[in-house]
Amino acid sequence: MTEVSTGGSRSPDTSLAIEVGRRARGVSWWRTPTARRYTFGYTLLAPAVLYVLLLVGAPFLFSLYLALSDASTGAPVAHFVGLDNFRSAVETSVFYTALRNTLLFTVGAGLLKGLLGTTLAFLLLQPFHGRKVIRALIVVPFTLPIAVSVLGWKWMFDSQFSVINWALSRLDLIGPYGSASWPVWLGEPGLALLSVMFVNVWRGFPFSAIVLLAGLTSVPPEILDAAKVDGATFLQRFRKVIVPMIAPILFIGSAFDTVFTLSDLSIVYLLTNGGPDGATEILPTLAYNTGIRGGALGRGAAISLFLLPILLPLIFFLLRALRRRQY
Amino acid sequence: MATVTVAARPVQVARTARAKAIRRHVLIYLGLAPFMVIAIFPIFWMVITAIKQDADLYLVDAAPFWFRLPPTWHNFDFLFHNTSYGDWIVNTMAISFWVSAITLLVAVPAGYALARLRLPFSENLGIGIFMTYLVPGIILFIPLARVVSSLDLQDSWWSLVVVYPTLTIPFCTWLLMGFFKTVPFEIEEAAMVDGCGQLGALLRVVLPVSWPGLITAVIFSFTLSMQDFLYALAFVSVSDQKPVPLGVATELIRGDIYFWGSLMAGALLVGVPVAIVYNFFLDKFITGITGAAIK
Repeated sequence: MTEVSTGGSRSPDTSLAIEVGRRARGVSWWRTPTARRYTFGYTLLAPAVLYVLLLVGAPFLFSLYLALSDASTGAPVAHFVGLDNFRSAVETSVFYTALRNTLLFTVGAGLLKGLLGTTLAFLLLQPFHGRKVIRALIVVPFTLPIAVSVLGWKWMFDSQFSVINWALSRLDLIGPYGSASWPVWLGEPGLALLSVMFVNVWRGFPFSAIVLLAGLTSVPPEILDAAKVDGATFLQRFRKVIVPMIAPILFIGSAFDTVFTLSDLSIVYLLTNGGPDGATEILPTLAYNTGIRGGALGRGAAISLFLLPILLPLIFFLLRALRRRQY
Repeated sequence: MATVTVAARPVQVARTARAKAIRRHVLIYLGLAPFMVIAIFPIFWMVITAIKQDADLYLVDAAPFWFRLPPTWHNFDFLFHNTSYGDWIVNTMAISFWVSAITLLVAVPAGYALARLRLPFSENLGIGIFMTYLVPGIILFIPLARVVSSLDLQDSWWSLVVVYPTLTIPFCTWLLMGFFKTVPFEIEEAAMVDGCGQLGALLRVVLPVSWPGLITAVIFSFTLSMQDFLYALAFVSVSDQKPVPLGVATELIRGDIYFWGSLMAGALLVGVPVAIVYNFFLDKFITGITGAAIK
């Protein structure tokens, strides 16, 4: 209504045209079934959109602001400090260790999970007796709450009573407790990083396998048969038919896994808390220890934002993959 | 001689087919064995640790894989009598309950609107909501700590009730959207012809036939509330307000002393039921994240 009247004051012609057009369509557009459906629909959507905007969107913007301020848990008033937080984060050596470990962790563990998951998926694809039971048992690492299983691993990696070491020493692969060849899994920098990665792989490989299995079973057998009739070998069928068909699912699965891995701090926090001497520090633990424990909210927010350049391309491609799968 | 060969032929064929099947099975089982051991041994080890006597844990001479001293329930007693474990369980259940309730209340209408009402931009909105599931907690937990403290909820499990739906709503909206798409339009139209409004059709016709989807959403909310560690660690530090995973991981370690037996007992008591229930719904979960489009 307002648009029409303001338009009218400037040029009477258009106003007239709009008036006519409106009258022809019927004045109460809001009364049409379409309009009522839209109102109803957007009302139903509103709570979800609001929740997400208020508790994901706004905090995300807030974290950008925090990262540019000297906010801390103690001081109520924060001042704008520009890029100081990012600069001071980059100047510490522990930040580089954390960044390197995060990348190593994500890529290394990701590749291992992919490899083990693929092997497992092809095994589970075969028909055999007890398949359901074995599948249900193999996915337990993924379904068990993460803090729970990490505690189990912490006990298995115990410096003195590790069951792994007990077995290794009985097999004469390592010396007795206290000797130089007795591995202290969480106490030596290299070993600690390996252990932490191993637990991540242990938790993630069933997920990769199940996602892959879902993809493989979604390939219609007729297409494979057609390829076979056309003389394609197994490898050709795998490369030219199976891989392209399951690629989006593979990608979505690994993107999810990467996000889970990148944002998870419980494995490192509970096993080593970044130690020994910062050797297993990753960006999430560093952000937590700086931001929440140390109270330097701004610094912590800045550190966690370093994950964005890794995440954004992933999310972008995921978006495209999801779009494509819609149809 | 002749009679023997005639009789032996079919038996031999059957036997080679059977031998083939057995060989195939053996190969598959051999391939799966390492995976099984790696997946299951840690859990077996946790279970046996939970019901061993303390002294039994630290005997290094004999094989540790079985009981050297009689098994005991002492660790479970200890949890309930000497720690706030009872509180933690109550907290965890309460958190899960409220998170599920909020999630259903918000995600059901949203999923329905996205799936059914042919709204402009609905596809983009749907993907947009789902993508927020991927914004990692590690970026959000510091600003959310401010939100939580401005709501005066720090050190209360209610803070987690506010925060967990940021994960469950996007996921369940997406999941339910896929679900509602499979409900035939006709039954809804029939209800509307019979005099139901759009809302009436949703409540009286669509929801009752969608209960498997609703249950999946509830299970997902429950398991997620029990799986999280980061937000609980960041927002709750008062002992009797903690959920189980956080309580077990932080309160049963005093300095350098680990109460391994009760640690494992406390972890498994909640972990195993979650793992079992999650196991049944795993396929639905996977279908959900891979785009609800695998046919």
